[in-house]
Amino acid sequence: MTPRFPVSLATPLLPIAASTRRGDAHARLHEDVTAVFDQLRDPLLRYLWTFGLEVSDGEEVLQEVFLALYRHLDAGKPVENVRGWLFRVAHNLALRHRQRTRRDSEVQLEASDAERAADPAPNPEACFANDQAQKRVRAVVDALPEQDRRCLFLRAEGLRYREIGEVLGMSLGAVSMSLTRSLARVARSAER
Amino acid sequence: MNYPDSHLSDQQLLLDVEGELSAHEGKMARAHLSACWTCRARRQEFEGAITDFVRLHQSEFAPDLPSPSGPRALLRARMAQLSEASPRGLARFWLSRSLAVAMAACAVLALGVATSGLIVKRTGRPRLQAALYYMPDSRLTPGATVLLHRSAVCSQSAEGNRSVPVSLQRQVFQEYGIPSADPQAYEVDYLVTPALGGADDIHNLWPHSQSTTWNAHVKDALEDRLREMVCEGSLDLGEAQQEIATNWISAYKKYFQVDQPLPEHRRPRADSAR
Repeated sequence: MTPRFPVSLATPLLPIAASTRRGDAHARLHEDVTAVFDQLRDPLLRYLWTFGLEVSDGEEVLQEVFLALYRHLDAGKPVENVRGWLFRVAHNLALRHRQRTRRDSEVQLEASDAERAADPAPNPEACFANDQAQKRVRAVVDALPEQDRRCLFLRAEGLRYREIGEVLGMSLGAVSMSLTRSLARVARSAER
Repeated sequence: MNYPDSHLSDQQLLLDVEGELSAHEGKMARAHLSACWTCRARRQEFEGAITDFVRLHQSEFAPDLPSPSGPRALLRARMAQLSEASPRGLARFWLSRSLAVAMAACAVLALGVATSGLIVKRTGRPRLQAALYYMPDSRLTPGATVLLHRSAVCSQSAEGNRSVPVSLQRQVFQEYGIPSADPQAYEVDYLVTPALGGADDIHNLWPHSQSTTWNAHVKDALEDRLREMVCEGSLDLGEAQQEIATNWISAYKKYFQVDQPLPEHRRPRADSAR
């Protein structure tokens, strides 16, 4: 997908200017929000997936997320960091969705194990080493507190430490410590 | 922090890997790493841990996503719906609509002269939510005039606007999406008053909220002022019509040299019950 957003996602996205004609301003706002959607829909959907939301549920949540962005800008409020803002809203909506459905829907890695076991790999011998490494890392990640896992997932989607802190309500130092702790565990698991 | 004399902490190593150190700290860290094999090996371990996690993330947490075209189209449709219906969007529209209204008013007035009737083709009507209307919606009420010479305008009675038939009032409320409006809350008002050549037409009528600061009594005061100026010859009739149709509040501010309605204009006039 070709990114259409003309500026860095860290650039503030400004609301409709009062001096702009309504039709033009809304058309421009539609284009801006659509461009951000094109660029961030996949990372956001993947992040929602880590909460256990199926893709179809994730798509629904994403509609809410981007309509919230639209309303926010239409109400004349700026967004300083579009990516951080969207991930924060998505994170909060995912938590609410999980509470509402009343199920612990963190992705169950064991289930993936079972699926993979039933799925004949084309070259099991060649895949063995990678498979073992992934099992090892999965065991480490599984054992992490949720906050630490969230930090890893958000970092894997490209968020900087400051943005992760904004999404999860953590200080920069706390994000740094969390990632250091988690990755040190992953690194140590490889030594065994 | 004296990196050359002691090993880097795990956190410092990771921050260096991540490019999150300040320029000075980064320089210090690199100076240490160039001299310390132990820290370079540990740094490599962090790189390896990141690689391991990314592989896991890609295989476990990156489902095959369907095409975004459907969700994108849905989002655009929902945004279009919101921009049509949102009261805030509408409110801001009032702030920035003068150009559009001016264009509509020019079209209306030009055609009015040619046909002594009206004016604007009626298309699909947007349905608007009940709101405080101190300005009309130009899509519904662009204004309409009849062909009258200044002398005809000035020879007719300067009394208040003709009362609008109830059936027409109902149509106006319907058009503005407030079919069950409390008649006490609105006055179905002429945009261009008949006292200045305004037409008895739905395109020239709108539900003016009684509870706003810029209520119908304030507009009456402006109409009286403009008519006075037209009749004494200091203002062209067409210009008066256009100014009131374009933005009557701006016209009020201009002709009374104030930013807010004068207190005596907010109340009904003693000599008229419009």
